[in-house]
Order: sequence, then C-alpha cells, then structure tokens
Amino acid sequence: MWKSVIYKEWLKVRWFAIVYALLGILVVGYLFLKVQHDTTFNQTNNYWYLILFKKLNFYRSLQFIPLAGGLLVAIAQYFPETVNKRIKLTFHLPVNENKILLTMMSFGTAILLAAYLVFTLLFTGIAAFYFPTDIIAPALVSLAPWFLAGFAGYYLLALIVLEPVWKYRFLYVLTAATIIPLYFENGPAAAYQPVNLSLAVLTILLSIALLFSGYRFRKGEM
Amino acid sequence: MVKISRYVLVFVAIIGFAIVLPKLYWIAFAQPIKKPFIQYSAVDHDFMIMRTGEDKGFTNTKGETFTREEYEAKLPFMYTRQLLMNQNLPDSLNGVEMDPHQISKYKSNFNLKPEDVNTPRPSLYPLFESQSGRATLEMPEDFFRINWRMEFIDAATNQINEEKSRMFSAVLYNRGFKFPATSINGIPTNLKSCDEGYLIVDSADQLFHVKMIKGKPFVRKVDLPEGLKFKTIQCVDDADKLYYAYLFSEDNHLYGLTQWDYLLERFPVDDVNPDLYEIRIWGNLLNYDVQVLGEGFTRSHIFDRDLNPVNEYAESWPVQSERKEGQIAAALFPAQLSMTDENSEYINFYCKASGSYYWIAVSLFLALVQFMIIRKRNEKPSNQILDLVIVCITGIYGFLAVNFFPNKFFK
Repeated sequence: MWKSVIYKEWLKVRWFAIVYALLGILVVGYLFLKVQHDTTFNQTNNYWYLILFKKLNFYRSLQFIPLAGGLLVAIAQYFPETVNKRIKLTFHLPVNENKILLTMMSFGTAILLAAYLVFTLLFTGIAAFYFPTDIIAPALVSLAPWFLAGFAGYYLLALIVLEPVWKYRFLYVLTAATIIPLYFENGPAAAYQPVNLSLAVLTILLSIALLFSGYRFRKGEM
Repeated sequence: MVKISRYVLVFVAIIGFAIVLPKLYWIAFAQPIKKPFIQYSAVDHDFMIMRTGEDKGFTNTKGETFTREEYEAKLPFMYTRQLLMNQNLPDSLNGVEMDPHQISKYKSNFNLKPEDVNTPRPSLYPLFESQSGRATLEMPEDFFRINWRMEFIDAATNQINEEKSRMFSAVLYNRGFKFPATSINGIPTNLKSCDEGYLIVDSADQLFHVKMIKGKPFVRKVDLPEGLKFKTIQCVDDADKLYYAYLFSEDNHLYGLTQWDYLLERFPVDDVNPDLYEIRIWGNLLNYDVQVLGEGFTRSHIFDRDLNPVNEYAESWPVQSERKEGQIAAALFPAQLSMTDENSEYINFYCKASGSYYWIAVSLFLALVQFMIIRKRNEKPSNQILDLVIVCITGIYGFLAVNFFPNKFFK
C-alpha cells in the first residue's frame, strides 16, 4: 500500500517536478553563460577581483529558485488534497494518519532534495571550470540558506494549505512571512557560515509542521 | 507527535516574532543619536567639537562657541584648502612652518569599523609587482593563496602556476614560515600610490612581510615581542611613508609597523578594541589623533609625532537602550533577536536580553490574559499549563505564538 501512496504522490507532482528541474537547470546554465560573457568582456582577473573584493555575487540569479521549487511542489502535492477534502479518503486507509502525512512530506522533501542536488552538482561542476575552490566554497555557503528556504517554504506552505480555517491560514502566512526572510539576509559571500547549522536545525524542525494542520483538517476543525 | 508539531511551530513563531516585532518597533520609534564630531586644535591646544541637532554649533571643551570661520581657523590641518583660499593659513604653528605640501604629505586618515574586522575574508589575493617601472599598478593575471604552500592561480586558465608557486613557497620556507597562513593583510587594489605587498601571519603567529620585486619574492620576517598576537592588521598607504600598517593586538593595544626598519611602535593608549569600537587614526604635521568610538561614548587621544601623549578628551551620551524608546522596548520585549549586527557582517542569531525587569510584569499580564482566554473557551487550564509557561518566559512573542497555533486537541 505504501507503494501506492508514493505512486499517488508521484502522479501529483511529476510534471511540476520535471518542469521545475528543467527550469532550474536552465537558470544554472544561464548563470554560467553570464559568467562566460562577463569574463569575455572584462578580463578574468578583474572578474575574480570583483567577486573576491567587491562582493559580486555571480550566483545571485539562483536566489529564489529553491524557494519557488518548494512552493510549487507544496501546491502540487497538497492543493489537490484540499479540493473536496480528498485527503480524508487517505485518512480512511487502515494506517496511521500521521505516518501517511509524514510519508507525503518525506516524498516532497526527497523530490526537492533530488532537484537541489542536481542544481548543486551542476553548479559546482561548471563553476570548477571557471573558479578555484576559494571562490566556489564561499558561494556554496551562501547558496545553502537559499536551498534551506526551499524546504522551509515547502513545509510552511503544506501547513497553510492543509489548515481548514481561513483565519488561521492567514495567521500562518504571517508567521511564514517572519521566518522565510531569515534565509535571505544580504551579506558578503560566506556571511551565513555561523548560522547555517542553526537554520538547518530550524528547517528540520519545521518538517513536522504539517502534522498540526493535518490533524485539524481530519478532526474537522472549523 | 501532533502536539510536538504544535510546539515546534510555536517555537519557530517565537523566533520569527522576536526578530520582526523589535524590527518594526525600531522602524517606527528609533530616533537618531547626534554624535559630536571632535577634533584637536593645535592652535588652541584644545578640542574643537562640532555638534548637530538641538545643540548645533561649534564649541570647545570650555563651552566657548565659534563661528564656522573661527572653527576652521583653529583646525588648519583639516581645513587647509579653505584657509588657503581665505588666505588665513598661518605661516607657522608651534614653531613648524605651515608649508601646504608638507601639510598634505603628513596628513593621514585611517578609519576602521568593527564590521570591517568581523567579516568573511577571501583566501585569494592579488600579488602586485612592486617595482614594475610603471607609474600605475596593474592587476596581476594570477591570485595567490597560502595553504600547505604558496600557490598562484592563473585567472584566465584557472590553473596553478607551478614555477611561481614553487619559487615563492621555497623562499617562505627558507625564511622560517610555518604553513598555512592564518591571516593575509594588504591593500588588494591597484588604486594605491605604490605596492608594499602583504603582511602575513603564519600558523606559528610569526609575522612576515611578503612582496614581489621584479618577479622575484621578497620575504622579511618581522621581530615580534614574545606572545604578541593580533586581532587584525590594517595596511595603510599614507603619503608620509611612516607605517606599513596599524596592528591591533589581542590585548587591545595599537601598534604601528614602521617602513624600512620594521620597528613595532606602540601607541600609549589602552582598550583599542576593533571588534567593538570604531577606530580613527588621523595624522598631521604635528600630531596623531587616535579616536575610539563606541556605543554611547567617544575618546580622543592626542600624541605628538614621536607618540608622546599630548592631550585627551572623552564624552558620553545616553545610548538607545537608556533613552525613553529603549526603555519601552525593554519593557515590551524580553529579548530582541536579529539576524544582523552592526558590529559584524556575519549573519547569525544575535540576541540582546532586556535590560529591565518590567518585561516580567508585561509577561505576567499577558499570561493572565491567556488564562482568561482559556477560561472563556471552557478549556481545562491543566491542559494549557505549558502555554502559560511559554507566555511567562517569552512575553508578547509567546502570547502571539500560542494563539496563532491554537491548543485544541480532541480526545
């Protein structure tokens, strides 16, 4: 039965996930196309200088791509469940309801993780042609909170979509609006170094958030 | 599990509110703090103070007030061009001829803020050719790093220049350099008068001066007193060519490293902490002025060119937390959380606990309100004790969080 549950999740998100992954790959491609263009028109040593000493973020175009993916997968996965309260059918299966919700959440997380891994590997692989590790490593430290924001956005949107009462949906949106900006503070490359671990813990904690609204949904809170 | 998920959400919401609510409060109620601008007058042997805001005007430490023209005439090293234009520049001052070229040569401005020190630093630097024979410096094609050896990476090919790397590494090794470097300090721009390379600290806390002269390495070890370690080394490009750098030690002392003879000269001033305070060092024909600016105070220490103390002045003012809006914030918020800090460019969770106890009264009042809400909903208070405790500890943040995520669990 778990196979069927996962297959159902795959059916819901597959086109969104595939199109999103392709778009993400295109953004990474565009990013390095721009690097190629800029290093052709400026000398490469000047371009390195701008990155190292003038806070040029050559990877800035990637900033909101992970968050967009998180929101997209959350909508694809949970919005159909709220139409005519279809998720109640799932809750009638002879298995623990929280376990089903956690399986759905883990599936969404795995899809996002796969997409982010592809982006990160592609980014690191292409970057290695242009830059030494001294430039790539700080860039990855700066990319990490953006990817964490993708997961946080996914968990928070799942919480919001499954919440049955509009008033509380609004309050959850307010809460999410205080949390998501934590991942997007401006700073030089590697500025997030001291806080990435804490943000990762915060994001992992958020992963069980949807159990709360899922519980309210299935108990028919109005 | 569901209850845990609610408390996780409450916890996360408390963090979010503890950041956003104080931020909104300060956007609405923060008032600018007008800091005095203090300079030393070698004419009057007194400090001249320029104030803005309600006390706007020019004054000295005795409270005498001046017109702008009088004020500028007392600071001939700062307003040299204006005085020249007004034909007011004195011929000599304290027995020293006031030659505009000499004034310009000995004038130096150094400014260091804590955020310049507490910031991620790159591990790659350009090593300029110090004696290229050209009038201007040119950005090199490669950048160096010092890990297990000194490596030059060519930017165009992203490949290591083995020959150059081996040459520089060998000289460093022969001079007793212990790899890797722990800090590399220089002026990595071609917009400077000349290149003096880098002052590099190795893993044994030894200090080396490294530069490139006609493509060959120049490495000179600097003798340091036993146990002296530096928080930061700031290279300067002053016209008088007196110092290579200002060095700030771990015990908050300030040193200058002289050019050519590599003498470490200590400025006789304590508590120069670049992690917390803004440091200004202004040099002129007669004096050095070391200014230390912290939250709510400024200190100005005047030395002659031989670094003998001449005069000093300090002034303080109420900081934001001591003013009315700060005291209200301290009562409203048990703590204020921020992802940024004015003394650092690193992103982190920076927490400032309330300096007042009024927040406890506010929290208890909110807990009472929460208790009444629970009663109104006809819920058992025994099921809600943890919520009440959260409100007592985290005040307004917890109050909002426990109500945003309602504590309604069905049997």
